[in-house]
Amino acid sequence: MAILEARNVTREYRMKAETVRALSEVTVVVDCGEFMAILGTSGSGKSTLLNLFGGLDRPTSGEILYDGQSLAPLSSREMSRYRLRRVGMIFQSFNLIPTMTARENVSLALAFAGLSKNERRGRSMELLDRVGLSQRAGHLPSELSGGEQQRVSIARAIANEPQVLLADEPTGNLDSSRAAEVMGVLDEMRRRDGKTIVLVTHDQELADEFATRVIRLKDGRVITD
Amino acid sequence: MKFADIIALAWRNLRQAKLRTSLTVIGVIVGVAAIVTMVSFGLGLQNNLLRDALARIDLFTSITVMGPGADAMLAMQDRTTNSSGAENGGDASSEEKSDGDAHAQPEATPTPVRMLDDAAIAELQSINGVRYVLPNFSFANYVRFEGRTRRAFISGAPQSIEYNPRFKKFLAGRHFSGEDAREVVVTERFISWVRSKKRINGDRRRKPGGPFQMAPTRSEEERAREANGILGKEIILLTLREQDAAPSSVFGIPIINVSSNENGEPPSEFGEQYEERAYRIVGVLKAEDGFDINNFMETDMFVPLDQAKEFRDANRDPMSRIGELLAGDTGYQNAEVRVADVSQVESVKEEIKKRGFRAWSLTNQVEEVRRVFLIVNSALALIGGISLLVASFGISNTMIMSIRERTREIGVMKAIGGSDGEIMRIFFVESSLIGLTGGAMGVIGGWGIDRVANTLANRWILKQVGQAIRHIEFFSIPWYLYSGAILFAIVVSLIAAIYPAMRAAKVDPIKALRYE
Repeated sequence: MAILEARNVTREYRMKAETVRALSEVTVVVDCGEFMAILGTSGSGKSTLLNLFGGLDRPTSGEILYDGQSLAPLSSREMSRYRLRRVGMIFQSFNLIPTMTARENVSLALAFAGLSKNERRGRSMELLDRVGLSQRAGHLPSELSGGEQQRVSIARAIANEPQVLLADEPTGNLDSSRAAEVMGVLDEMRRRDGKTIVLVTHDQELADEFATRVIRLKDGRVITD
Repeated sequence: MKFADIIALAWRNLRQAKLRTSLTVIGVIVGVAAIVTMVSFGLGLQNNLLRDALARIDLFTSITVMGPGADAMLAMQDRTTNSSGAENGGDASSEEKSDGDAHAQPEATPTPVRMLDDAAIAELQSINGVRYVLPNFSFANYVRFEGRTRRAFISGAPQSIEYNPRFKKFLAGRHFSGEDAREVVVTERFISWVRSKKRINGDRRRKPGGPFQMAPTRSEEERAREANGILGKEIILLTLREQDAAPSSVFGIPIINVSSNENGEPPSEFGEQYEERAYRIVGVLKAEDGFDINNFMETDMFVPLDQAKEFRDANRDPMSRIGELLAGDTGYQNAEVRVADVSQVESVKEEIKKRGFRAWSLTNQVEEVRRVFLIVNSALALIGGISLLVASFGISNTMIMSIRERTREIGVMKAIGGSDGEIMRIFFVESSLIGLTGGAMGVIGGWGIDRVANTLANRWILKQVGQAIRHIEFFSIPWYLYSGAILFAIVVSLIAAIYPAMRAAKVDPIKALRYE
């Protein structure tokens, strides 16, 4: 069953006088519970596709569907609810708020969902426990290793129980053993909790090891599915 | 996101940049303190003039109603004559202040057609909104006290003094015990005459000082001691012995034949021409702070009203007597009508005029003064407002700086589900916290400046005058100025945050989160 779908999606960016086409009539269907890897070199449009799935961006033409529903008619506010409830995003550079502790970072996502302070307290610990970081809850990102930071960001991404996790080069800044740790956590999310994972990477090995399905992008087009 | 969480987040953000936030808040403090100081000074001036100085004598709830003089009465009887010229001659002999009032605006209102007698007083009393009506009865009379004789201005006062603000404060003693009591209540004006060694018409020497300094410059204890000193002393009122056998009457009350000495005193040295009537001083009225009401009214003492009528009649000059003989009873010179509320003064005045009396009040002048103060206060607020305007640019600047620094953070918040509205709200709350803190501290600062300035000003005045005078409050900070200034600071902060907050809401999360 399809959970995410890109139908004939084109995304163009205006760069001063010229128009850059990042995605060109891409059609991709992500099934519920699969681990899809999107491979491609930089500039292939893989991050653009992920941002479209994540509701951070809208296509120039074509449409994105979540659970059969088009995202096109959603207002900006509805789009933010979509990002809050339906998808969780994980970034290469972690994007934790540097002045907040691990727990506060996770808590922030819960606060946007309207949870009270008490509810957040228990839930954020539970989430950090799930990524094996309950001991490090009070530490600032700068006091954590790259792998730990990425696991905090995974905890934040799953805070409001989204069906889909969108990971953009999550191991790009990590050495291989830390990378394996993080990938293990993601894989566990899929196996144990039935999450759908969309992984953007340029690492063929990583894709082969974890993905249930791999697609390749080149110059904004899908070349193998 | 819950509002409490937004506040917590905003507070946290402000604490991240303590120095920058503090400097911005200081800007707001200066602006608010400037407004508060300026406006409180304006309001202080207004209060000193309207509330303390003028309102203490209840000038603005008072309507003066004039009765016709003998000549006006004659003119009324003889309808062919124009009465306006004759009016000045009316009670020329009694050059009291009250008569001066009548001259203050001679042409503004038509000549009264009704006599101001006891029936008229009762009628005025019944007008809706009138608290009480006091017939004013004053005359000049020679008095002898401790061997010195002078001409004094004497007024009649009713036994019931419940509402009369003039009789609120006794420096010593009490009011008359009854209508027939041979008792007088003197004013501090009289005491100053007693004190002076000059045997002239009272002590008319003006004390030095500005508008705030008409109050007695001696301490209250000192004045009270002096007042107590003359209580119970005897004062003699001198009147011309009636030559004609036929005693005249006032309002139907026959004048007591005073030659039969009721007090059993020996006949005086002026026995043939003069009548001496001994009175006892039972009370001393305190001069008002601010304007000295008793000086203002030029009255030295009060005697019971009915007795005052006798005295006035006895002291009439021949012209007035003839006038009265021709015109008949002229009634009271004027009466003071007290209205319960300032807002009713105009309507009551119109009603009195409709009933055929001449009436005037100070209400128009008060409105004028209020309007002037409104303009002055607005100008002062505007000057203070300029510094808050400058501070608002500081707020905008701080917010924009903060947004530039936190672009990535804003991008993260959006990516994890924060809406544009929530992002905007965070920044609006941040700036209103700056406004609230700055406003609250600014109000405290303004209050502090007022206190220091007030102390210094009072000390300076003391130095200039060299005597202990009443402490003057130059500033006034009513509650609405406190809350208004804080509210205004918050509103200004919110306005200053509109552009930054919109900019924050428009941050493109893709650009903000792009890996660098």
